[in-house]
Amino acid sequence: MSTPARRRLMRDFKRLQEDPPTGVSGAPTDNNIMIWNAVIFGPHDTPFEDGTFKLTIEFTEEYPNKPPTVRFVSKVFHPNVYADGGICLDILQNRWSPTYDVSAILTSIQSLLSDPNPNSPANSTAAQLYKENRREYEKRVKACVEQSFID
Amino acid sequence: MEPFTHNDGNRDELIIQQKRDIEKEISDTTPLISEQLPLTCLYAEYSGDEIFTAKIQDLSKKYKFIRRTRPDGNCFFRAFAYSYLEYLISNSSAYQEFKKLAEESKEKLVQLGFPSFTLEDFHETFMEVIQRVSPDNAGGHSAVQDELHKIFNEQGYSDYVVVYLRLITSGKLQEEADFYQNFIEGDLTIEAFRHLEVEPMYKESDHIHIIALCTALGAGVRVEYLDRGEGGTVKAHDFPEGSEPRIYLIYRPGHYDILYPN
Repeated sequence: MSTPARRRLMRDFKRLQEDPPTGVSGAPTDNNIMIWNAVIFGPHDTPFEDGTFKLTIEFTEEYPNKPPTVRFVSKVFHPNVYADGGICLDILQNRWSPTYDVSAILTSIQSLLSDPNPNSPANSTAAQLYKENRREYEKRVKACVEQSFID
Repeated sequence: MEPFTHNDGNRDELIIQQKRDIEKEISDTTPLISEQLPLTCLYAEYSGDEIFTAKIQDLSKKYKFIRRTRPDGNCFFRAFAYSYLEYLISNSSAYQEFKKLAEESKEKLVQLGFPSFTLEDFHETFMEVIQRVSPDNAGGHSAVQDELHKIFNEQGYSDYVVVYLRLITSGKLQEEADFYQNFIEGDLTIEAFRHLEVEPMYKESDHIHIIALCTALGAGVRVEYLDRGEGGTVKAHDFPEGSEPRIYLIYRPGHYDILYPN
């Protein structure tokens, strides 16, 4: 059955294949276009470099009027990522615009990795280390980068 | 030490879930756009309230019917679109003019920096809706009127129309940012305001949204304010000021419905 959400997700997928942004990829799961798997590669010149972080994106029939639920499956040590992988990012909450597509979502999360917002922490240890002990923060991030190879 | 610190659970998601439950309750009980109802149906909502009863009496001298919209934060945009299209389906030349403006609006928004890929999706649906309510369509006026009502109660179409009007509003605010900045309280920039209060669905509209949308589309709106204010009469305001109204709305704190003049 084609609904506006499903039609739009097919378009998002087509665009992601034809015009893939650097360092991110994503595709619907085999039997359900409403659930996607995605990967974000850690941005260069950040402690996340070389990491391959897996995510799931769950859409509802209200997409794109409402944002999807995006979650890291890989462990990510980051001030704005919750222990369960949930992400605290304004465009996925109160700044969502129906003009964002999957490509825009993934590139925004990728830039969140480079530029954390320690004032709105989802992981207070990570936020504190990011502000006060950058060396220890980077060490912890690198540990999760290594973990991401194994996952 | 546990490497991840949990911060009171995932609060954002809990709040979002609670909001979704409330929205679902509203959507299960109220249509997006109701049938035309006699204006006097308002009395029942305020029975025993002298101020409102007097004001409804005043209002009923000028208007016979009301059409209710679902109170989901999109009511202004949905009421505006429905009421304007209703006017256009009985005014062929105004319809043609609006169709042309709507056709060209996409290119304008792309030039203002909106992503053309996603914009296209909303614009196509918007144009399809306009086409489906053309005054020249077979079956004549009443068939087109029925079609309009049907489309606006189909969530997919109805919401896409709302999104597109929100984007046009957002585009207008950006285009004339210096002017609209004066309407914004606090230290929000126009840019932030557009992303927080205009583009997201379900965000309520204020004067600034109304002025920007009416101006962008060249469509006059008269809003009748039914509130607790003094005087016993309902105050009306025309947007843009001095324009000939094509759309008549009633505002009660927090909500817009459509009015039909005598």
